[in-house]
Amino acid sequence: MNTFDFLLQGLAVALDPAILLYALIGVTIGTAVGVLPGIGPALTVALLLPVTYGLDPAGSLVMFAGIYYGGMYGGSTTSILLNTPGESASIVTAIEGNRMARAGRGGAALATAAIGSFVAGLLATLALAFLAPHIVKLALVFGPREYFALMVLAFVTVSAAFGDSAMKGLTSLFVGLALALIGIDGLTGQARLSYGVPQLLDGIEVTTLAVAMFAIGEALFVAANRVGADEKVHAIRGSVAMTAQDWARSWKPWLRGTAIGFPIGAMPAGGADIASFLSYGTERKLTRHPEEFGNGAIEGVAGPEAANNAAAAGTLVPLLTLGLPTTATAAIMLAGFQQFGLQPGPLLFATAPKLVWGLIASLLIANIMLLVLNLPLIRLWVKLLTIPRPWLYGGILLFATLGTIGVNPSRAELAMLMIFGVMGYLMRLHGYPIAPVVVGLILGPMAEQQLRRALAIAQGDWTTLVSTPLSAGLIGLAVLALAVPMLLRMRGRGAVLAQVAKDDD
Amino acid sequence: MMRHAIFGAALAALAAAPAWAADYTIVAPAAPGGGWDATARTMQEVLQAEGISGSVQVQNVPGAGGTIGLAQFVAGAAGDPTQLIVGGYVMVGAILTNASPVTLADVTPIARLTGEAVGIAVKADSPLQTIGDLVEAMRADPGAVSWAGGSAGGVDHITVGLLAKAAGIDPTKINYIAFSGGGEALAAILGGQVTAGISGVGEFLPQVQAGTMRMLAVSTDVRWPGTDAPTLMESGYDVNVQNWRMVAAAPGLTPEQQAAVAADIERMAGSAGWKAALATRGWADTYLAGEAFAAQLAREIEATTAILKDVGLVQ
Amino acid sequence: MSPLGPSSGRRPDGAAFVIAAILAAAGTVLIAEGARIPARGGYAGVGPGDIPVLVGWGLVALALWHVVAGLRGGRGPGRVRQDAVAILWITGGLVLQNLLLWQAGFAIASGIVFAFTAAAFGRRNFAVSLPAGILLALLVYGIFDRLLKLNLPAGPLETLVFGG
Repeated sequence: MNTFDFLLQGLAVALDPAILLYALIGVTIGTAVGVLPGIGPALTVALLLPVTYGLDPAGSLVMFAGIYYGGMYGGSTTSILLNTPGESASIVTAIEGNRMARAGRGGAALATAAIGSFVAGLLATLALAFLAPHIVKLALVFGPREYFALMVLAFVTVSAAFGDSAMKGLTSLFVGLALALIGIDGLTGQARLSYGVPQLLDGIEVTTLAVAMFAIGEALFVAANRVGADEKVHAIRGSVAMTAQDWARSWKPWLRGTAIGFPIGAMPAGGADIASFLSYGTERKLTRHPEEFGNGAIEGVAGPEAANNAAAAGTLVPLLTLGLPTTATAAIMLAGFQQFGLQPGPLLFATAPKLVWGLIASLLIANIMLLVLNLPLIRLWVKLLTIPRPWLYGGILLFATLGTIGVNPSRAELAMLMIFGVMGYLMRLHGYPIAPVVVGLILGPMAEQQLRRALAIAQGDWTTLVSTPLSAGLIGLAVLALAVPMLLRMRGRGAVLAQVAKDDD
Repeated sequence: MMRHAIFGAALAALAAAPAWAADYTIVAPAAPGGGWDATARTMQEVLQAEGISGSVQVQNVPGAGGTIGLAQFVAGAAGDPTQLIVGGYVMVGAILTNASPVTLADVTPIARLTGEAVGIAVKADSPLQTIGDLVEAMRADPGAVSWAGGSAGGVDHITVGLLAKAAGIDPTKINYIAFSGGGEALAAILGGQVTAGISGVGEFLPQVQAGTMRMLAVSTDVRWPGTDAPTLMESGYDVNVQNWRMVAAAPGLTPEQQAAVAADIERMAGSAGWKAALATRGWADTYLAGEAFAAQLAREIEATTAILKDVGLVQ
Repeated sequence: MSPLGPSSGRRPDGAAFVIAAILAAAGTVLIAEGARIPARGGYAGVGPGDIPVLVGWGLVALALWHVVAGLRGGRGPGRVRQDAVAILWITGGLVLQNLLLWQAGFAIASGIVFAFTAAAFGRRNFAVSLPAGILLALLVYGIFDRLLKLNLPAGPLETLVFGG
């Protein structure tokens, strides 16, 4: 049998009515839990995995696939509507998506996220089925020096794209980089900036920082500006559906997001967050509506949302072909597979084709279910914004603390949540962008560790960083991305760039 | 509001049925999903299913290689015979490198439950055929032999240090590259980024069976099932490391309380349910209890302290 | 984030100097910490202390940039007046939750967060908001602790409703 036959056989299994029902249940509870602010896909999957234990392998696989995609997608809803991303891969979605929601275009933002997630999920799952063995070879070419080059590129594309003031964007980024240094150094075990406080040894949890700065900071900011602020949140203006123009502006970002997200998700040290950062930077560079970026550009939602879903499917490539769990979510999935006596690894496609193809078919089914469930629900979600603010924000804060209390219950962690919340508020107050702080916290340690690993392998020879065509190419791309706008600005071209720069120089 | 109340009452009815006073609370000093968490939850299942305990709760206290959970356990559970904590060899190193104020001497070790050998492997097309080749390459130029493994000061790092020391090579000269999580280290080995890799045998076995990697040696004193790689000892290096997991009780128990807990754990470890759970998870049964375990633990703490000083991780 | 208020002429911006001072202080802390850490670069040549020093100097440079920008002025305090009482309500709720969580349990502590946040937004009728918050938190406790086995701190209320 060839790949295609296997897939058809898997689909035939998955199209059983009972299986479809499991898929629907999985998608529903996955979305419902994933949508809560402060609860990201990793926690969603970890919490809901036991629900699948009681079923037969086919049923539990499909329900599990539904939970995975549902949890992944659910995070974007609160990002867009409430500016409170539940996990790092939805942070850039919040930038443009929440602006759209404030302008009454939340419906369109949710729709482009849902359809983009569907398109990306579909293409990436097919790519997983047909290309996994080839993609994994590509992913293995990436060693520490290539990852370092990729981080440099991510830094450049992302930091160039945040905020309207280079000084404030860089300040936010460096605050994130500084926070990232707290805790045990991954390569030597040396404690840094922890001053003997044991809770600091593990560093600042990304979810704690993101939830605090976005959810709590936002609540504080909205509450403090309630008096005298006449800015009304429009639940909806015009149609909840996407207009023809929205479609025209969304489809290319969906495809580009998929193309960026899938391979980066497949890399052992990649991940959905980096994919979403790179996609956002790409869309901002390629857009015909640069003036809308920062004020609710639909491309800035469509691209990153497609990218993070494609990356979620990409994560399965090393998991299924090599047995490598490369993210927290994948590690939990590995535990899920082991429940069926299934050991993911290089021989999995050969030894258990039925289950592998069943899983891939399940992912396809779950992906379709997700769209079927969520498009009608958009109307309901935007109603969230019509809940009176005291109750809405009361609920947000309750859920924001729930994630921390459930996963990392300590007074120190809760205190950090509040301190970073206040910091998020003060930064908003003075016009500093929030996202670069979280970006710095995520990318900083990765860049540092990959740099030092690359140098250790090369015994201190710095030329190793550009010694392969791939790493040299990535660094070259980063230099171009940095230098070209500068050159354009110096030659006085590009009204937008001039406007971006006007604040400080 | 009314609907909420009814739903709440329904939930209450649903939840109240099996919930009596907990016989045991097991602290997993790690986040949900990891090895210690899995151990705690497997114990929970088996203790309940075998009727040894009516109700078992698992509590996760993650952080700093388990030392945060350990500290909290020692402070909060002293004298309470219903409290257990799961731990392992990684904790021994973490206590030293983090200069933890609380050590394993502050709890009452009950039994070693399971363990795994550390494997040393290279990519299939590597010119190094035996562990002897690898050690000689390291002797010739230690910097040129890069090792990919788990966290700094963890069991993988310690094993490389012990091997270097046993072979008469300066342990501070090893070029050990710490990766977070097994997946990344494995990818670095398969991608040919490093000379050799060191990790739990289970992590390498699927690759070895698929022919993409070659296992050169295992760290335990006996060969490990699933591979014919020699032990380090039979290759002439006096190294014996097992990455074990254990269960301990609270400090300050009376001998009677301690014996009762030990009896419950022994019943669990001897049960068919526990054996089946070990088989499903692919864990080896390395049960060791009482005086024998206490003596083994003391020996390992001593050896680990010495090697961490040698590689410069502990002053 | 767009500017919060209209620019109010070319006078030195006080906030910029405060921020510059904070950045400089943070940078100094990082540089000192980097210098304290023993140089253990090993084969890499770059050790655990080097990156803190680098980031520290970056922060110092940004502090200088803020001073220059502050002297040029321009972005003065044209912002909307802030409601300090609202901030106190929310942070107070979070502090109380942290203090009470392990004694009073998840439902009561989180109910307080809910009610205090509502108060920050103008609903100060605690006879309604506190029970509503506690009920919501109890529901969350039931679903997450009892059904999904996420361990949440239990207090008297949880024990009463859901049993031990």
